[in-house]
Amino acid sequence: MASIRRTGGEKLWIRYLILGAWALFCITPALWFLSIGLRPRTEIITPQPIYWPTFSLDAWHMLWSDWPMAKYLRNSVAAIFGSVLIDLVLAIPAAYSLARYEYRGRDDIGFYILSTRMMAPAIVAIPIFFLFRNAGLLDTVWALMLIYAAVNLSVVTWIIRSYMLDIPKELEDSARTDGASDLRILWEIIIPAIRPGIITAAVIAMIFAINEFLFTLLIASTPKAYTMSVALANFTGGSDGVIYNAIALVAFLAFIPVFIVVVAIQKHLSRGLTLGAVKG
Amino acid sequence: MARIELEGIQKRWGPVWGVRDVNLDIKDEELVVFLGPSGCGKTTTMRMIAGLEEPTEGTIRMDGELVNDFDARDRDVAMVFQGYALYPNMSIYENIRFPLRMRDVPKAEHEKLVREAAQLVELEDYLDRKPGALSGGQRQRAALARAIVRKPKVFLMDEPLSNLDAKLRHAMRVQIKHLQRQLRITTVYVTHDQIEAMTLADRIVVMDSGLIQQIGTPDEIYSDPANTFVASFIGSPPMNIVSGVIENRTFRSEGIEIPELQIDHSGPTSFGIRPEDCVVARDASRPSHFRGSVYGVEPTGDLTYLTMRAGDKNFEVKTDRSYRADLGAEERIAFDTERMYFFDTESGRRIT
Ligand SMILES: Nc1ncnc2c1ncn2[C@@H]1O[C@H](COP(=O)(O)OP(=O)(O)O)[C@@H](O)[C@H]1O
Ligand SMILES: [Mg+2]
Repeated sequence: MASIRRTGGEKLWIRYLILGAWALFCITPALWFLSIGLRPRTEIITPQPIYWPTFSLDAWHMLWSDWPMAKYLRNSVAAIFGSVLIDLVLAIPAAYSLARYEYRGRDDIGFYILSTRMMAPAIVAIPIFFLFRNAGLLDTVWALMLIYAAVNLSVVTWIIRSYMLDIPKELEDSARTDGASDLRILWEIIIPAIRPGIITAAVIAMIFAINEFLFTLLIASTPKAYTMSVALANFTGGSDGVIYNAIALVAFLAFIPVFIVVVAIQKHLSRGLTLGAVKG
Repeated sequence: MARIELEGIQKRWGPVWGVRDVNLDIKDEELVVFLGPSGCGKTTTMRMIAGLEEPTEGTIRMDGELVNDFDARDRDVAMVFQGYALYPNMSIYENIRFPLRMRDVPKAEHEKLVREAAQLVELEDYLDRKPGALSGGQRQRAALARAIVRKPKVFLMDEPLSNLDAKLRHAMRVQIKHLQRQLRITTVYVTHDQIEAMTLADRIVVMDSGLIQQIGTPDEIYSDPANTFVASFIGSPPMNIVSGVIENRTFRSEGIEIPELQIDHSGPTSFGIRPEDCVVARDASRPSHFRGSVYGVEPTGDLTYLTMRAGDKNFEVKTDRSYRADLGAEERIAFDTERMYFFDTESGRRIT
């Protein structure tokens, strides 16, 4: 806060310079990918530097004609949104319970929920594979939905809980004396009041889900349940060799929606992240 | 319409006491004010009546029915919270309407009831706004409107005027009293402001550290205080209380001598007199009880506050508007001997 007072003219341009350089540094990979994605395949693997790249939509056409990209995209979207929905439906009541009711072992339960996040995913990979196989869910989008939801549930619960702790208790007391039941309090008072927190949690879960690779590879063994992230891996194998421009283009396309969402809600996001961290 | 009986009420959180022992019978249609310093248990007692807090010991009855196990929503009380507790995402209209929706009041009546309540607190023009776009006073009135929109058995108001400026506070005080008389609903009102208590209450319950110190009408509390706590909490400026000794029916303390007492008591005693029951005795032939030096003179327009020094304590006197004196000047004060109070120094209890 103290530095705000020093925002004199001569200091201001230094700030912009530093922030601008950092922004450029962060955005460069994305732009780089875009540039690779929009060039012909031959141009990408030449050993000499190219100063005036040729524009080509080869990779773009290939994605949609040679590969069932639309299907992968659909799988991704279904698995991701489905998982976020599952997370919210489960996490909101769980967070409410952790934030508001007093019962024996509440804090322990809160810790157990959080501790699922502390485990390295590889440890549970094999058991989960058998679990889903026995349930007959291997190679389905449903399985992806479930596994993404499971992976993110703890974080989503924790973020929403921290927002709920911020709501004055008087608000609920007031609703109660006005005659509202617990469910109505949750639905009409709490949820509207923590909408930013819910959005934050959902976006974070979304980002984790988009980037999820290990479990997806494990469960989606055929193109039937492939998602974008696993489809990417396929461009590196097969008879065609590594198809760099297609990889780059898919990566860039996967990056766009996340980028837009994060920019749109960045104010809430930083608050959500720090709250989740500090209020543990 | 309800009578509320509290019997042997205690509230503890582990080792922390909220309320130690409260026995109280609130009559139907009565306006009772809980008065006491911050932390004395006023809010806690009120929350127990509302059903938001469970008493550790004791029973609460409404109209004779034991309600200890009734949830807040089944007690049919309306509460104005200290921090307003308006629902931030709803408009003022929706805020006021909320209790109607929750209590299944027929939809057709909502609009009319909400507008009536808003009108009573002069908030009709703000119904579309969110609470965040209102001033403190408007929020307070919105909270009040939400409480009066339906006709509950009991109103509970927790320092509802604490955040208003002096002028608005006075206006709202009058409005609340008027409303309560008009609606004839049993009301418990919490405040730490003795003026509010005196002006509003049918009966005042003076509390300190979780205990009731005295219950009585404003008159009784003012002219018949049960102990030094009540005596010094009521009045502005509060009652002067000086410790001294009674011997041979004469009270003596530094600068003070009161002979020919009518009470049968001797030994260490505290003497109390209100600033308005003292007069400056400039005429040397007039008897006086207290001799001291002038410490401060504060003209306020309609009267003048004179502060005298008695030992190491200040002694307040209300004098007429024309009174002036130099600091340090010697002054003689006479007491209205009909309005003197004596308290046991040890326990603070009143001696009669
Ligand atoms: N939930 C609680 N847990 C522990 N102590 C509390 C709680 N609520 C109130 N207290 C304590 O009980 C006492 C009375 O509080 P309160 O009724 O709010 O006082 P008042 O409203 O008269 O200012 C205070 O000492 C307060 O710290
Ligand atoms: Mg209080």
